[in-house]
Amino acid sequence: MVTMGILLGIPLFSIGINLFDGVGDMWNHILEYFLLEYISNSVYLLLGTGIICSILGVSTAWIVSKYDFKYRKLISWLLYMPLAIPSYIVAYTYVGLFGNGGSLILVLQQLGFELQKIEFMNTPGLIWVLSISLYPYVYASLRAMFSNYPHALRDAAYLLGANENKYFFKVALPMAYPALIASLFLVFMEVLNDYGAAKYFGINTFTTGIFRTWTALEDLSSAIYLSAILLVLVFALMRLNRWMRSRRSYAFKMKEISDKGDRRIKLEGRRKYVAYFILSIPILFGLVLPLGQLMHWASLNMEALYSSELWEVAFQSVTLASTAAILILLFALVLLYLSRWNYIKSLNFFSRIPAIGYVLPGAIIGIGIIRSSQEIINFFQDQLGLEVGYLFYGSSFILVYAYIFRFMAVAYNPIEASSLKLGKGLSESSYLLGANRWRTMLKIDFPLIKPVILSTFLLVFIDLMKELPLTLILKPYNLNTLALNAYAYADDERLVEAAWPALLLVAMIGLLMIILNRRTKMNSN
Amino acid sequence: MGTDKYILQIEELSKSYDKKIFALKDFSYKLESGKICAVVGESGSGKSTLLKLIAGLERSDQGQINMGDQILCNDQIHLSPQKRSVGLVFQDFALFPHLRVKENIAFGLAPGSHSKIEQMLKAVRLEGYEDRFPSELSGGQEQRVAIARSLVREPDLLLLDEPFSNLDTNLKSELRHEIKRLIKDLGLSMIFITHDIYDAMDIADEIIFLKEGKIVRQSAITDIFKAVKDKYVKENMEELKRSAETILSMIPK
Repeated sequence: MVTMGILLGIPLFSIGINLFDGVGDMWNHILEYFLLEYISNSVYLLLGTGIICSILGVSTAWIVSKYDFKYRKLISWLLYMPLAIPSYIVAYTYVGLFGNGGSLILVLQQLGFELQKIEFMNTPGLIWVLSISLYPYVYASLRAMFSNYPHALRDAAYLLGANENKYFFKVALPMAYPALIASLFLVFMEVLNDYGAAKYFGINTFTTGIFRTWTALEDLSSAIYLSAILLVLVFALMRLNRWMRSRRSYAFKMKEISDKGDRRIKLEGRRKYVAYFILSIPILFGLVLPLGQLMHWASLNMEALYSSELWEVAFQSVTLASTAAILILLFALVLLYLSRWNYIKSLNFFSRIPAIGYVLPGAIIGIGIIRSSQEIINFFQDQLGLEVGYLFYGSSFILVYAYIFRFMAVAYNPIEASSLKLGKGLSESSYLLGANRWRTMLKIDFPLIKPVILSTFLLVFIDLMKELPLTLILKPYNLNTLALNAYAYADDERLVEAAWPALLLVAMIGLLMIILNRRTKMNSN
Repeated sequence: MGTDKYILQIEELSKSYDKKIFALKDFSYKLESGKICAVVGESGSGKSTLLKLIAGLERSDQGQINMGDQILCNDQIHLSPQKRSVGLVFQDFALFPHLRVKENIAFGLAPGSHSKIEQMLKAVRLEGYEDRFPSELSGGQEQRVAIARSLVREPDLLLLDEPFSNLDTNLKSELRHEIKRLIKDLGLSMIFITHDIYDAMDIADEIIFLKEGKIVRQSAITDIFKAVKDKYVKENMEELKRSAETILSMIPK
């Protein structure tokens, strides 16, 4: 467990160690012209997406959990779906929709609006694109929270004279702060991880800066320094998240029994139309319009659908993502069981090291791995006379390793939670009945956590299919994924050609999200 | 309202959730001002529905509820819970977990009512606990906060839903007497529901036995053993007698 923890934590340690090598040649140039911009843009993006995601996520979650209206179930499901479209793809479609001669601009012109374009390729535009792609994190978390409130809380508030507004602002919303803070933290990590959308809109952020410093300026040492500054920002956000949640963790003592029966308030009249209007905004701008634009582009390039290139790329994507997902699950299970069986509890700290990967932007992990792999290659060559460079740069080995570090927490946390929920009682009964640890694991634990393992596989698979920055840094020359393909075409302004890989990616993620949703419902039943 | 003999008058109240089985059927009852009434019944007898209808959390199918000279509900009128002078203490207390004790008590008050909060904390003997969160309180303390929160709004009628079911035996007895003291000191009226006849015997002035949404027996607590006809009530009384005889036989003469 200690070895695994340390091995998987190499990218993180590498950044720390290499800081002592000093700054690179371009550092002064970065310091003078870019650093302030990276910091200010990243802070603006965090603040902007934080505010918009909160407004969109909280309002939609509140409406679908507390009110009843026609198509509520369909709408509440559609509100998750913008998560199926990666933000970099939303970014390209917005240019196709709102740019010069954009599809929606043409429609608006025909309706009599004198518009040439709506400018999205700026910081507020990027804030909107990231918010509309990432608000489902807030929505999902808050919806679960609001739906689980005991009705007695609302009844108590009403009997104490509160109206709906007072109940929302004084009781329901403050009680949801821990969930809101936790989901915003996920949003912030995604914002800091974003490369594709920011690069396409030409906004300099830390992540685009790290790429630029490493590729265009060819200064790996300065890229590591930038990564370290970003790392400080990430850890500061982590501390803030923990501190805010620890101050606001409320024990829920009320029995579920008080919640029985559907007591959503039926919306009628003007309030119903206001609710439909609010709910339609994220669905329209986060799902319908981007998907419509992709379909429009795809229809202009139907021959791509029959080309072998598209399907080869899709096959590579699925193979890579499924291989990595299986490995991630295996590592998560091994780490979990090693920490459960280990009697020296202080060593369990090492099992948490890979979990840090999920909060680290891909660019940091990528740079950390590039740096450390060079040293490993040199070590093998100088000390043992072995050429291992091809293993690092000619295969997907290093990329899969990076995926394991980046996405370990996505697999580890739900499996650990499910295992903790089962408790020790069952395992202990099994031991007392004469079964050893392995038999207990295979015959008792695995069958019981199997549904969660399958759901977790889907969750990790979705994340891997969407992944861009890490894949971009660490991919071998002959590897292509749907995400990379869509990004590469769009980056070359070949938006029509980017449509099919993007559409295929969105369709696959969408389908997996539907399956995941059903599985989650089955598991909870 | 205080001068009326009856604080609460319920006439032919009915409520059904599925239009077939009635949770409450033609229920009529009058509660005198300043009295405590215990509603006893098994699960599903309609006890909780009765409280919810009085509090305005559910709408009745037919019947009328009056409080003093004010109509709370009938075929045309349904006064919202906010407009009824009724306090309800929930079985799980329903304290707002993110608010401190004093904030929970102040929730239904206008800003700046510090002296009222202090008085109420004193009345329920929770001085020194005002800055704690509900999760930092014991079951008995939580219940006192829930009672204080309802009473501080000076309702004419206090309703309690199974107030003692989550408490251990010692605490139960202590709280029963404390609640009775508070209600009598403040000159309020109270209805509480319970499935435990001992709770009713200890603090109620009168008792109602509910079965399948109907009153099967209503009497002053002092007349509880007189002229019992219904099987369910009989069983309860016999159980009570058996317990009393067992205890009496154990006391050395």
